[in-house]
Amino acid sequence: MILLVAPAIILVVLINAYPLVVAASQSIHNGTLIVTGDFVGLSNYVDVVTSPRFWSAARFTLVFTVVGVFGSWLVGMGLALLLRTRIPGRGLFKILLMLPWVVPIVVSSTAWNWLVGTPDSPLPALAANLGFGEVHFLADPTLAAITVCVFKVWVSFPFMMLMTSAALAAVDTGVYEAAGIDGAGRWQQFVHITLPLISRSTYISWILMTIFCVNDFPTIYLLTGGGPVDATSSLVVLAYRSVFQDLLTGPGVAIAFLMTLVLVIVSTTLYRQIKKVDIA
Amino acid sequence: MNNTQHGGVSRRGFLGLAGAAIAAPALAACNVSGNSGATKAGGGGGTLKFWDMPWGTPAYNDLGKKIITDYTGSTKASYQIIQWNGFYQTFSSAIASKTGPAVSSGAGFQAFQFADQGQIAYADNFIESLKKDGTYDDFLPGVLDTMKTDKGYAGVPWQTDVRPFWYNKALLDQAGVSVPTSWDELLAAGKALKKIGASGFATGAGAGNNLGAHTMVAMMVNNGGGLFDPDGKPDCVTDANIQAMTFVRELANEGIIDSGAVSYTADNLDAQWKNKKAGIGIHTPGLAARAGTTGKDLHVMDPLKSSSGTVAGLFFVNNLMMYTNTPSQEASEAFLKYYLGQIHTYWQSPVGVAVPVLKSIAKADYHAKDPNQVAIVDKWMPVCKTYAAKKTQSFAALAAVDGGQPLAQFAQAMLQGKTDPKAAITTLQQGLESIVKR
Repeated sequence: MILLVAPAIILVVLINAYPLVVAASQSIHNGTLIVTGDFVGLSNYVDVVTSPRFWSAARFTLVFTVVGVFGSWLVGMGLALLLRTRIPGRGLFKILLMLPWVVPIVVSSTAWNWLVGTPDSPLPALAANLGFGEVHFLADPTLAAITVCVFKVWVSFPFMMLMTSAALAAVDTGVYEAAGIDGAGRWQQFVHITLPLISRSTYISWILMTIFCVNDFPTIYLLTGGGPVDATSSLVVLAYRSVFQDLLTGPGVAIAFLMTLVLVIVSTTLYRQIKKVDIA
Repeated sequence: MNNTQHGGVSRRGFLGLAGAAIAAPALAACNVSGNSGATKAGGGGGTLKFWDMPWGTPAYNDLGKKIITDYTGSTKASYQIIQWNGFYQTFSSAIASKTGPAVSSGAGFQAFQFADQGQIAYADNFIESLKKDGTYDDFLPGVLDTMKTDKGYAGVPWQTDVRPFWYNKALLDQAGVSVPTSWDELLAAGKALKKIGASGFATGAGAGNNLGAHTMVAMMVNNGGGLFDPDGKPDCVTDANIQAMTFVRELANEGIIDSGAVSYTADNLDAQWKNKKAGIGIHTPGLAARAGTTGKDLHVMDPLKSSSGTVAGLFFVNNLMMYTNTPSQEASEAFLKYYLGQIHTYWQSPVGVAVPVLKSIAKADYHAKDPNQVAIVDKWMPVCKTYAAKKTQSFAALAAVDGGQPLAQFAQAMLQGKTDPKAAITTLQQGLESIVKR
């Protein structure tokens, strides 16, 4: 029996456990990617959590995640509901709406940079023509944060649309007919029938999107690099910059572990919600 | 209401999937082995591996491959291109797994960084051999000294990346100003350029663009300051640096620095030069070639006299380095000697590399055809200093300083023009101390 499962165990150890153990070791050492360095205990963790930059990044990560999850869910669900109706060219719309999700992020971030990067770019030029003056979407800290969040919603809504569409397809239309006979309006049907019936799928998509958002490096890094002046620096960007720019492996890995811890808590909480739905 | 249409998700199944996903950051941060892009160790298989970066146009790497293919030394050599994107991870992973190169080009401070970790074979013997065959005297003054460390020469220079001031003559003519020779004149020219809608101090510090940080350090060095003291310790909060950054803030507040510069990527900045929105600014030696038809209007300015009366600039001496993981040190040195004897072909072709470090190339007809490159060699090189500035020797921490968070954040803060220079420099000092102390 042991021999039968041994290959699987070895594979799991090599793929997951070994890197995690090495990473854990790095987080308590003062080394680089090449040398282990000196043992420093939990000082990397202490340095990280006492740094204002960490909390600034944590705040932005929270905002980015909340906007990313609920923004993309609202847009995705709205479009999924729209695509359920009989509109001409529905198939073509579905394909076009999937593009932001399908296109490589490096391409879409380059496109967005072209769209908003300089005063000559289309959106700033349009804003100037409308009398808003010179608008710097990526140079102003607040506008940069908004732009990054909007970009994330734009990139992510097709996934939510797909998840919601799949959930809606499984809903028995007879339920709506019965509700209609009972006098329920469209809004009542949506709130009391649609939302509860797709809630399980919704919770799962929230969990996945939360993980996608917290771990999202390219969306932020390619568009703003975490700037200006750290305004769009999330935890994963901070971890990357610590390891690969400041060349401080310990603090970077410590940030990654703290992120993992937070994700475990969030995911577990949402999972419990799924179980409640199952029980109901 | 029981939603029976959906299949159940088991606790184990969910935890397995979610666990794999949420462990991603920790796993990603732990890429210590593999992904090297290499198949054999630098010292294994009897083949000497040479790794090279995309230093110029694609033709550069084609030529590089040909040079290595033509090598007929006793040890066969192989050529591999390493992309700049994630290069530190690529090199580190390969070195850690003993699959790295025997000889490579690389980032300006890479040799010092890996030397500090015991991975570099010092080039002292090689330098001695260059003294014997006369190549040593062919190096431009000062460039070899930048390779010295307390333990020996960490690398051998092969090209220099200078940060000169450039100007667009057509825009200066349109604005009715002459080419500045001092900071005061730069300020006046910037005001005139602003009136015609052009920037008088073009730079950028957006995603992946280090030029803004380089520009800030160049201004400090120009004014007699720098980031480090002669012992290599962070020493940012000096009168010279505060004066330099006060000047930069004035440029920002006068609108001479484009208010969007803080977010400009390298492409955005190039577009500013190309679209005739940039009148004056610090850039790389290859700017004119990247500016399309506008390139003909772009010229290298003489080094400026700063507020404190000093004249200086910033450069990065890119080098070739040998690693301890090699078929043999003799093989590495023999290959390096051959390669150094071939580098003139990069300028002969030309394939868009930076400024040569050898007098024989700098004085050659093919190089003298470009007056901008000649101006950089003749006027900028003699007054340029490295990031170490007051310390003549470079050191490992410079790799973390260049492109690290503290300097990038500092450059963005200064380009916004809102931060008090002394406060920003003090924050920079603290940031550099946190990097350098390790």
